[in-house]
Amino acid sequence: MRSLHIFLYEWKHFVRSPFKIVALCLFIVASIYGLQNGADLYEKQHLEIKKINQKVTDKKDEIVLYFEKGEKGPKSKPWIDLSTPFWAIYNTPTYHYKKARPAIVYNIGQAEHYGFYKSIDIYSSPYDADMAKEIANPERIQSGTLDFAFVVLFLLPLLLLILLYNIKGQEAEQGFLPLVIVQTGSKNWWLISRTAFYTLLLLVTLFGLLFYGAMLTPIFETDATFWQVFLWAAIYLMFWVFIYFLILKYAKNTVSNTLQMIGIWLLFAFIIPAAVQQWISIEKPINLMIDIIDTKRDKTDDIYNQSNQLTDKQLFNLYPSLKQTEIAIDSVGIKNARRRSISALINSAMKNTTAKIELDNQSRNALISKTYWFNPLTYFQNKLNHLSGTHYDNYQDYRNDIQDLIDKRIEIMVLDIWNDVSVDKAKYLKYNTTLSNND
Amino acid sequence: MFQIIKNEWRFLVRSRIFVIISIAFVSILVLSVFLGNYQIHKQNQTYQNAKDHLRQQWVSLEEVNPHSAAHYGTYVFKPSNLLSSLDEGVNSVTGNVLRVEGHVQNEITHSEASQMQAVSRFGKLKPSLLLQYIVPLLLIFLAFNSVSNEKQSGRLKLLVLQGARPLQIILSKTLSVWLYGVLLLTFILLVYGILNFENLTTEIISRTLLFFLTYCAYYFIISGLTVFFSARWQNATLALTSMLGIWILWTLFLPNILMSSAEKWYPLPSRNEFKSAMSEDRSKGIDGHNPSDKRGLVLKEKVLKKYGVDSLSQLPINFDGMRMQADEEYGNIVWDKHFGNNRDVLKQQKESFQLGGIVNPFISLQNTSMGFMASDNLHHQEFLLQVENYRRVFIKMLNDKQTFGGSKTGNWSWKEDNNFYKSVPDFDFKPTQISVVILNYLMDLVLLLIWSILTLVLIIFGTKKIKIV
Repeated sequence: MRSLHIFLYEWKHFVRSPFKIVALCLFIVASIYGLQNGADLYEKQHLEIKKINQKVTDKKDEIVLYFEKGEKGPKSKPWIDLSTPFWAIYNTPTYHYKKARPAIVYNIGQAEHYGFYKSIDIYSSPYDADMAKEIANPERIQSGTLDFAFVVLFLLPLLLLILLYNIKGQEAEQGFLPLVIVQTGSKNWWLISRTAFYTLLLLVTLFGLLFYGAMLTPIFETDATFWQVFLWAAIYLMFWVFIYFLILKYAKNTVSNTLQMIGIWLLFAFIIPAAVQQWISIEKPINLMIDIIDTKRDKTDDIYNQSNQLTDKQLFNLYPSLKQTEIAIDSVGIKNARRRSISALINSAMKNTTAKIELDNQSRNALISKTYWFNPLTYFQNKLNHLSGTHYDNYQDYRNDIQDLIDKRIEIMVLDIWNDVSVDKAKYLKYNTTLSNND
Repeated sequence: MFQIIKNEWRFLVRSRIFVIISIAFVSILVLSVFLGNYQIHKQNQTYQNAKDHLRQQWVSLEEVNPHSAAHYGTYVFKPSNLLSSLDEGVNSVTGNVLRVEGHVQNEITHSEASQMQAVSRFGKLKPSLLLQYIVPLLLIFLAFNSVSNEKQSGRLKLLVLQGARPLQIILSKTLSVWLYGVLLLTFILLVYGILNFENLTTEIISRTLLFFLTYCAYYFIISGLTVFFSARWQNATLALTSMLGIWILWTLFLPNILMSSAEKWYPLPSRNEFKSAMSEDRSKGIDGHNPSDKRGLVLKEKVLKKYGVDSLSQLPINFDGMRMQADEEYGNIVWDKHFGNNRDVLKQQKESFQLGGIVNPFISLQNTSMGFMASDNLHHQEFLLQVENYRRVFIKMLNDKQTFGGSKTGNWSWKEDNNFYKSVPDFDFKPTQISVVILNYLMDLVLLLIWSILTLVLIIFGTKKIKIV
C-alpha cells in the first residue's frame, strides 16, 4: 500500500515537472521519426525490388519472343544462339534480393552499408562492384540514420537520466530526506518504488512506440520479432535502470548524480565503442581486396592459358559426370564445350579467394564480440541488428546465397553444354525458374 | 578581468577532482592522437603495398593488345591522409577500391564499415570525437555553477563591492572556462604536430589552424551559454540540465534529423534508376565493340572521307581504336551528365544541412571539422573526379595506341610491347588544396562567428539584470 502511495505520488511529481514531460515528448517525437525512417526504407527497398522484377520480366519476355519466332537471337548480334545452353543461360535474367524484413522499421542497422539486389550471371561473384550500397550521402551514412534503435540505444538512457537525476538528491539538498525515511520506512524501498515508476512509464512508452512501428510494416505477419525486440529493449532499459539506481543509492546530491550518470553514459556510448573500433582497425586493417583482384585478372588469365588436359582434369574433378558424356569423347565438340565451361574453374578459384576474405572478416567480428562484456552498447546494437536482419551475418548469408545461385547456374550450364542439350521455349522458361530462388 | 581569470584558474587547479579529471582526459586525448596516427600510418602502408603491387602488375604486362589492356585495367585505392587522424569524416563508410577500365565507370567499393559488424555509432576514437562531443560536456560541467555558486556563497556580492562589474565577472568566468577548452585543443594539436613534424606542410598547417579556430569558436559558444545560464538562474541544477538538454539537442538530435531530412528534400536516384538512365543514354551513342552499329557506321563514313579512301583496309590507321575512343567520349558525356546531377543533389543536401547551423552551431563545427581535415564528402567527390579524369587519360592512351600505333582495322591480334605499358602513368592523387574549397565552408564559418557574437551579446545584455545574491 505504501509503495502504491509512493508510486502515485511520483505520477504527481512527474506531471508537475515540465522539463521531464518535454524530454519524454521529444523522445516520442524522435522515436516516431525513427520508426518512419525505418518504414520508409522498408517501402523503398520493396519498391525497388518490384521495379527490378519488372525489368527481369521484360527481358525474359523479349527472349521468349525469339523462341516463339523461331529466331536464334537479335539480328544485330549474329553470334548469339539461344538454342545453346550457354547463350540461353547467359540471357536468363536473374536477380537475388536481400528482402528487407518488417523489423527493419525498428532498426536499420547495417542495411545502408550493403546492396540488397544482385544481378547473377556465370561470371558473378558475391564481391562484384554491383554489390555496392545504394547511392546515398556518405555524410548521412557516417552520422547514421535516426532510426528507432538509435533512439533506444542512445536517447533512452538520457531520457532515463532526466527522469531520475533529481531523485533523492533533491530531498537531500532540501533537508527532508530523513523525513522521507521516517514516512516510508525504508530508503531503499522508497528509491526502488520511485525508480520503478519511471521504469514502468518507459516500458509502456516503448511498448506503445513498438506497437506504432508494427502498424507501419507487417511485422505480426512474420514471426515473434515484435516481442523479441520488446524483450531486448526492456532488458536494455533494465540495464540502465540498474546502473542509475546504484548511482542514486550512493550519490549525495543532484549534481553529483547527474555527472556520474552522464559520465557512465559517455563511457558506454562513446568512449568504449570508439576505442574498440580504433583498436580493431589497427589490429585488422581494412582489406583492399588484392586477392580478389589477382584472382579476377591473373588467375583468370592463367586458367585461360593452361593446357587443355589440365582444364579437362579440373572440370572432371568438379563435375565427374562430364566424363561419361558424348562430348567428352568428341574431339571437335569438346573444344567448344571446354571454352564455354571455363567460367566454372574461374568461379572455383574465386570461391577459394572469397573464403579467405570472409575468414578475415569473421576474425574481425570475433574480436569485436570478445569486447561485449565491457562494451554493452555494441552488444545490444548487434542483437537488434540480428533481429531486424541487418547484421553483418545476415549480409554474409545473403552473399552465401548468391554464391549458391552462381554455383547452381554454372553447374546446370556446364552439364547441359556437355550433354548437348538443345534449348527451346519450355527449357528456357525452366531455366528462369530453376536459376532463381526468389519467391 | 585578468585577475578574475587568474583567480578562477587558481581555484580550478586547487581542486583535486579537476586535476584528476584533466589528467585522465588529457591521457585519453593523447592516446586518441597516437592511435589515430598509428592507424593512419598502418593504413598508408597497406595502401602503398596495394598500389605498388598493382603498378608492378601493370608495368609487367607482356606483349598485349592495347584494348585487351584496357579491359585488364587497373585499380585505384583511396589514400588516407595525415589529417584524417584528427577527423576521419566519411572515410570509414565510403569505399576504398575503384576499378579503372574501358567502357565503364565503376563505383567505389569495399568500405571499412562493410567488412565487420557494427561497433561505434560515432566512429573511431579520433581526437574529433573527443573534441566535438566530450570537451563541450567538460566545459558545461566546469561552468554550470560558476556564477550560481558565487551567488550562494555571497562571493559575487563581495566581488561587486570590491569594484568588479557583473559583466566583467561573467565574461572572465566564460573566458577562464573557454581557455580550458582551448588549452586542451592546443595540447592535442601540439602532440599531433610533434608526431608528424617531418610531414608538416603549409597546407596541413593552414588546415589545422582553421580547424583550431572553429573549435575555439564553438567552445566559446558553449562556455558563454553555460555561464550565462548559471548567472541567470538561481539554481545550478537548472543551469546544468538546461545545458545538457541543449547539448543533447545539438549533438545527437538535430544533426541526425536534419541530415535525414535533407536527403528527403533532395532525393538521390536509386542505384537501379541511375544505372538504367546511364545505360539508356549510353545506348544512344556508339557501341565500341559492334562494327554494324549505326552511329559507328556514320563515324566510319566520316573517317573514310577524311582520309580519302574507300574502305577500312585502305586506312593508314586502325578504325577499331577510333570507334572505341568515340564510344568512350560519348560515355564520358553521359557520366558527366548523371554524376554531375548526383553531385548537384549532394551539394543541395549539404547546403541545406549547413543552414541547420542557424539553429545548431554544432552542425557548422562538424562540417568545418571534416572539411578542414579533408575527410568530408566534398573531398571524397574530388577524389572520385580525379580518378575519373585519370581513367579518361588512361583509356585514351590505350585507344590512341590501338588507332595510331601501326595496326590495321580488324587486327585484334596486334600487340604492343611492354615499353608502352611502362610509359602509361600511374594514378597520382593530388590532395585538394584548402584555398580551392574554402568557399564551401564560408557559411559554416560565418554562422559560427554569428553564434559567437550572439553569445557575447547575450552575456553583455542578458546579465545586466542578474541578481547579485
